[in-house]
Amino acid sequence: MNALERHRKLTAIWASQPGMARWFSTVNHSDVGKLFLVTAGFFFLVGGVLAMLIRAQLATPHSAFAGPEIYNQIFTMHGTIMMFLFAIPTFEGLAMYLLPKLLGTRDLAFPRLSAYGYWCYVFGGTMLLASMVLGIAPDGGWFMYPPLTGPLYSPGINTDFWLIGITFVEISAIAAAVEITVSILKYRAPGMSLDKMPIFAWYALVTALMILTGFPPLILGSILLELERAFGLPFFQADLGGDSLLWQHLFWLFGHPEVYIIFLPAAGVISTVLPVMCRTTILGYGWIVASAVALAFLSFGLWVHHMFTTGIPHMGLAFFSAASTLVAVPTGVQIFAWIGTMWKGRPNLRMPMLHLLGFFFTFVIGGLTGVMVAIVPFDWQAHDTAFITAHLHYVLFGGFVFPILAGLYYWLPQVTGRRRFFRLGELAFALIFIGFHVTFLAMHWVGLLGQRRRISTYLPEDGWTTINLISSIGSFVLAIGIAMVIIDLVLQALTARRSPRNPWNAGTLEWAMMKPPPAYNFASLPHVTSREPVTDDPQMAIRLARGEGYLGDPGRGWRESLTVDIASGKPDFHVIYPTNTRLPIVMAAVTGVFFLSLLLKFYWTVPLAVIGVAALAWRWAWSLGRKADLAPQLIGRDIELPNATGVDRSPSWWGSLFLLTANATFFGSLLFGFAFLWTVAPGWPPPAWFAASAVEVGLGMAGATLAVVGIRRALRANLMDGDVRLWLAVTFAGVLAMGIAAGGVILRAPTPGEHAYGATLLVLGGYAFFHAALAALMVAFLAARVALGFTSPVRRAEFPVVNLWIDYLAGVSTLILIVAHLPGWLT
Amino acid sequence: MRDVLRILAAPLLWLASFTAVYGLHGLICGHGIDGEIVGLMSLQRVLMATAWLLAIGAQTALLWALHAPRFASPSPFVGFVSRGTGWVGLVASVWTLFPAVATTYCL
Repeated sequence: MNALERHRKLTAIWASQPGMARWFSTVNHSDVGKLFLVTAGFFFLVGGVLAMLIRAQLATPHSAFAGPEIYNQIFTMHGTIMMFLFAIPTFEGLAMYLLPKLLGTRDLAFPRLSAYGYWCYVFGGTMLLASMVLGIAPDGGWFMYPPLTGPLYSPGINTDFWLIGITFVEISAIAAAVEITVSILKYRAPGMSLDKMPIFAWYALVTALMILTGFPPLILGSILLELERAFGLPFFQADLGGDSLLWQHLFWLFGHPEVYIIFLPAAGVISTVLPVMCRTTILGYGWIVASAVALAFLSFGLWVHHMFTTGIPHMGLAFFSAASTLVAVPTGVQIFAWIGTMWKGRPNLRMPMLHLLGFFFTFVIGGLTGVMVAIVPFDWQAHDTAFITAHLHYVLFGGFVFPILAGLYYWLPQVTGRRRFFRLGELAFALIFIGFHVTFLAMHWVGLLGQRRRISTYLPEDGWTTINLISSIGSFVLAIGIAMVIIDLVLQALTARRSPRNPWNAGTLEWAMMKPPPAYNFASLPHVTSREPVTDDPQMAIRLARGEGYLGDPGRGWRESLTVDIASGKPDFHVIYPTNTRLPIVMAAVTGVFFLSLLLKFYWTVPLAVIGVAALAWRWAWSLGRKADLAPQLIGRDIELPNATGVDRSPSWWGSLFLLTANATFFGSLLFGFAFLWTVAPGWPPPAWFAASAVEVGLGMAGATLAVVGIRRALRANLMDGDVRLWLAVTFAGVLAMGIAAGGVILRAPTPGEHAYGATLLVLGGYAFFHAALAALMVAFLAARVALGFTSPVRRAEFPVVNLWIDYLAGVSTLILIVAHLPGWLT
Repeated sequence: MRDVLRILAAPLLWLASFTAVYGLHGLICGHGIDGEIVGLMSLQRVLMATAWLLAIGAQTALLWALHAPRFASPSPFVGFVSRGTGWVGLVASVWTLFPAVATTYCL
């Protein structure tokens, strides 16, 4: 078979549907990645227009451009859109598009999950946009502090749009993080051990792990605040045992890592593009990886530095001030590694390099002002002033937008197959750079003169007029620059000359394929022996197109790939992907019905939506698998691999593991919230403790034991080709018992509407009950699969997945029963 | 996965100890644990200093393990990165928890 025939056959197997149907049924990572990037770009423009409205309002004193109510909506939506609908989805889109190409594989681990996440993002973002069009957009600031956003001071629907819309969008972030983590760990080209991974993959892995542990506290906070608003559960009301500071803790537990979640992917772009622009290799690969990991962890110890003015004791302030200064060290290591890379190489001032230089200049200033505000006495002076707004824009625009623009210009030939022709980009860069610094240097200054952030207007005698006018003019110059970038990119994509395959002489695998990339990426998968395989073998693209790599025979007609051992990169399993389907968009729409029902308080449709999602999830999982064993498959080079359905640690198991990591963070945050209220909030102890019940605890514990033992015995029975039905029934009974015990906590929680103690118990009980219901569904699913012949001693991958979830349920149920019943016993 | 855990272990331990010491501080201040003198130091100071020293001790032990042939990764790259993050954990524990012995507790 020649290269052209192979291309045609692979395209027939991997291509998305023709016409408009393609965009609704595609699960291809290139398509979904591009959809994410284009949609995030659209939201960036909306957020940018809102920024211009803010600057128009503040350009002159006594401005009547927008009244305070509309202005509050404008700045809230600007922050919300830029953070949640632009920055994070841009990372998701970039990672989804690039990772399989960089890692030398054909697609991400769970293609349908990518598409589902995208549609959740679109529908959730549309809800927020609709609120803006209707004039009922969120107006409490992007960090939504109660009591301002509580039911007493914000009774309208505005805040609900934020809480429900953002939670909906965050499904997308969690889905993408699971997808990216498993893909990087398992879906790489054979031979690509951890030390040979492209540096962007390390950054994406660290970022994805941060999303899995950083987003759950915010999801929890949003749920608790919505429960308070909708049902009067007083988690944040000080007179009823709640505490508004709990929100700040939960929000900033997410919010500070969020800054690094935004910066780290951009740092991955810099570490990838900079060495190519400097015609060398990255200096200090291992140091950079260690610094990225250190940065990620340290960023979780900084959250209280956003709360320095809330009256926290000195020792607490000092802990977080020390951590905030320390985080500058791994950041500095990366900056010096990049400077060293430039020193080592021969920098070439091409378009991406201009934006990288813009990054250096801007981000270093933002980092230095960050160290300033990490020092408590300075922060007390600058807190909630325009200085902080300027600082965060230096960090986020400098640390994200400039590198992303560099990445756009760098990968444009990869995506479109065209090289730059027009020279608008240089002028656009100059306007962006000058406009940005005029806008935000001025904002530092006016902040130090005392201008508070988020004020809708000011007086001429405040002395801020000239500076604000300069800042506003700068912002419009910046906006013109951004508009020119868009025009430039569109012109390049549509009309420029064809690009050679590897226009930058880069060494990473995304340049070892035809341009624009085909749906299957590589006609055969490469064997990797270094970090820059294309530099080592410039003819690699041709050899792969000839089918000289792995899985080069499309004869079986499957969407095939393979997984590798995490550390060594040795091939371990053969994988067959699902094909095009509308299931993700339908499931996202039904998920949207759930969120919309909550928003509009149509509670009768909530259970319908839940049943709908469960039914679709059932169908989702059911469509995988087969009724006959699959023999080990020859993947090339005389290597045979077992199929992933016949192993204990299948991709689904890894996906479940990382999803449960996020879930455990959510649960840990809930326990933290409970301990925080108990320890710090006024109005404790509560009027009445939960009445302990030995029967309920005994039932729950017995259920946990039964379920854990039952699923293990079922797994073993399946391996030995025995009868698993009895053990699945035992597992189901155990899950049922845990559900009943959790129901006891829900039903007997003391007066949830009157004290935060009862409200928290209600949520804890609800959490256990939800997981019991989920586990029951999984056991029922497994029983149906067994009954209809979808399992065998070889096809066993579904048992360990259910085992994982049952173990988790048993663990959290036991903990919740202890937390609920123990105080009653002790008192 | 063991290699990934080797890289993550020390920062994870720092995060756990940082959170635990901050939680202990919250308990001391929230429940008004005060007044008792143990030797020359107050009970609060003894508790906080002990927690700090335990955190440093645990990080030191982990760093030793990451250097020891028995526990270290066979991959030179993972060994380098895990020892690097091991040092990060130790330095972070010393620096970020140092206020436990240096400032007032509940003011």
